[in-house]
Amino acid sequence: MPLIELKNVSFSYDKKIDVVKNVSLSVEEGEYVAIIGHNGSGKSTLAKLLNALVLPDEGSVTVDGFSSADKKQVFDIRKTVGVVFQNPDNQLVASIVEDDVAFGPENVGIKREEIGERINFALSAVGMEKFRRSSPMHLSGGQKQRIAIAGVLALKPKVLVLDESTAMLDPQGRKEVLSVVERLNRTQKVTVINVTHYMDEVVRADKVYVVNDGEIVLSGTPSEIFKKKEEIKACGLELPLAAEIADALIQRGVKLPEGILTEERLAEELCALKSKI
Amino acid sequence: MKDVTFGQYYPKDSFVHRMDARIKILASIAYIVGVFLVQSFHFLGFAACFLFVLITTITAKVPFLKVLKSIKAIMFFIILSAILQLFFNSDGEVLLDLSFIKITDLGLLNAAFIIVRISLVVLGASLLTLTTSPVELADGIESLLYPLKFIKFPVHEFALIMSIALRFIPTLLDETDRIIKAQKARGADFESGNIFKRAKALIPVLIPLLISSFRRADELADAMDARCYSGSKNRTKYKKMKLTWRDLIGTILVAGLIVGVVYLNNFYVLLTVAL
Amino acid sequence: MRIEVKDLTYSYEQSSKKGGQVALDKVSITIEEGEFFGIIGQTGSGKSTFVQHLNGLIKVEKDRGSIKIGEFDLTDKKCDFKALRKKVGMVFQYPEHQLFAETVFEDVAFGLKNFAPEMSEREIEERVEQAITLVGLDYSKVKEKSPFELSGGQKRRVAIAGVIVTKPEILVLDEPVAGLDPAGKKDFLALLKKLHKMFVKTVVLVSHDMNVISEHCSRAAIFSAGKILTVGTPKDIFANEDELISLGLSLPTTAFIEKRLSHSGINPKSNLTVSDFIDKLCEEFVGGKR
Repeated sequence: MPLIELKNVSFSYDKKIDVVKNVSLSVEEGEYVAIIGHNGSGKSTLAKLLNALVLPDEGSVTVDGFSSADKKQVFDIRKTVGVVFQNPDNQLVASIVEDDVAFGPENVGIKREEIGERINFALSAVGMEKFRRSSPMHLSGGQKQRIAIAGVLALKPKVLVLDESTAMLDPQGRKEVLSVVERLNRTQKVTVINVTHYMDEVVRADKVYVVNDGEIVLSGTPSEIFKKKEEIKACGLELPLAAEIADALIQRGVKLPEGILTEERLAEELCALKSKI
Repeated sequence: MKDVTFGQYYPKDSFVHRMDARIKILASIAYIVGVFLVQSFHFLGFAACFLFVLITTITAKVPFLKVLKSIKAIMFFIILSAILQLFFNSDGEVLLDLSFIKITDLGLLNAAFIIVRISLVVLGASLLTLTTSPVELADGIESLLYPLKFIKFPVHEFALIMSIALRFIPTLLDETDRIIKAQKARGADFESGNIFKRAKALIPVLIPLLISSFRRADELADAMDARCYSGSKNRTKYKKMKLTWRDLIGTILVAGLIVGVVYLNNFYVLLTVAL
Repeated sequence: MRIEVKDLTYSYEQSSKKGGQVALDKVSITIEEGEFFGIIGQTGSGKSTFVQHLNGLIKVEKDRGSIKIGEFDLTDKKCDFKALRKKVGMVFQYPEHQLFAETVFEDVAFGLKNFAPEMSEREIEERVEQAITLVGLDYSKVKEKSPFELSGGQKRRVAIAGVIVTKPEILVLDEPVAGLDPAGKKDFLALLKKLHKMFVKTVVLVSHDMNVISEHCSRAAIFSAGKILTVGTPKDIFANEDELISLGLSLPTTAFIEKRLSHSGINPKSNLTVSDFIDKLCEEFVGGKR
């Protein structure tokens, strides 16, 4: 059974225009999934459906056996699926790091001694133990987002949703956050759903969903997705620059293989080609 | 904009910093009561209060200048109160007669008394905020308000609102600074013109600030919901407040101050009777 | 107008005696009229502080260096900052956060009315229409709308229209593409190029995106800890990969691949723009044989 299952989900804020239209998707435990779409494509609303922050008008959302249709199970869903949002300044509630991380466990009534342990666990998982007693005010954007991740991890969720969590960060901060998330996925087997508009963050995913106008228009592995250049561009997205360059070179007769997505790979292939000449 | 000394936490590891926030809040209230207990013109009582402030400042390892700066923040208010006393007190011997206004010796004394009284109150209050982090302060107030729960006062929500407000003050100050700069770059002028013109010039700053605050509130609410927030029901608390020997000593000191003030009031009475 | 900065030093918290953190440390640089100038550096390297000096939002303190922009001497007490700001436009990060007026028209006209109070209603209307059209919005459709009903991307366009409506000769932009999706970013950079061919003579662009810098800038400077480390063409500043990485920066895609290729004895020697890079590679791999 998949860990998360959306069946024919539709949602609208104003009961007129659906921002999510008839979406079905499933996520298996331990997967790294990317949901990509341009700004205003409905991908953020989709992220909120995943942990019952908004409830579907039609269709069903099931998370680890809990259904969002049952009001009593909403909190079970939120405990299972943690969300990290976009703006690092707008999701921390407390003026001291450890108090903020404690917020989630306090909400679900965890005993004091255990909260202490969970803070230790969560802060070390994101590599921020040193800042336990600091004020988040003086941290960088990337560090604040890592605290936000820790705040979510303290609830011991099975799934971590990144709702454009890197969009406001500088490249350094982005790198920090992505490597923390990747490590969690690999070592702690946390299921990751990265909602983003950065194509280069998609390359690493097991499965990709492309969202446009509230619908899932493409899905598959990254290399399957990147083959469909025209469809991707029609959705207001771009291939990673390395993929575009590779593509242009192939068009002009350079004998490169298909499916190059990263600059490392492109450089390797070009070097290999040179040695053949 | 950034010079808001009043209410800013000065992190240090000291006797006073380590005291329980609740005791500090109660002690501050007691101290303020003490300042108000000083009867008219018994300046010795004020001297005792000042001594108390001085001792606390030293044990708190806070630079005295930082504490004094708090007075600057409300200078305008102090001066206004003093002027009112000075001009509208017609009792006592007239020192200066400007026909429309008489300045009397009693008025002068009263003005001085008011200045010292307000200043001492502010010094004490700022010592509290300088040595107690906003979080501790909010927790302390929550804990002190706990009995109000029985009359259905939403203590937890009230405390949460307070701590979130405190958490967002620096963020909003930064934002204000940014918006002011952006509008200045578009030729906005905040420095010239009469008071009405200046007030009007603030609209392009206040509206974006208001809108961004709503946006932040919205996002924060989502983030709190996502972390399973559902009010105070079944909620636990990570931080536990414990009373220690420090709190006992602090309590004794404040009690000593109040006794001292009352004694000094009477000391004056005795002194006048004797003379 | 030429920008000439000499020994500019600035520290936050002047008042604190313990020497507040130096945000700029003897920065000297000249940016010629007509340049598309890039500024890169980590967050906190001083680049934002630097660009805010360029239109007097942060003033040069006494004996802390000098800035001359055209005939404006920003160190001079009598410097007319209003006139300066009219010529030096400034787009902040997330400029849509500065919108405030009831209608798009009023918001865009704000700067114009501040800078040129004598301008006639008709002329104001013309200029506003021109600016709104330039940023790619339909004037007749949006002018009476509240800016807050627009989509995120449209809001940003309105905000930029509000800056370029005064036709600044120098346009300073601090991370203008932050938060935009790929299509929005592409549109924005195209707009910037278009403006640079029109009334905007000089562009000073702060960006974290190395691909943007290598693609669009004639020259760029690397800031680190309040100092300028390197100034030069993209080719120059991206020559030292180890230094960039030690500063928490990275190479643009083209420079990255060129670097790797050079280890295998291929030196395409492009100017690091994508089209030139592709051309040079084709010469290397196909051209020679044909």
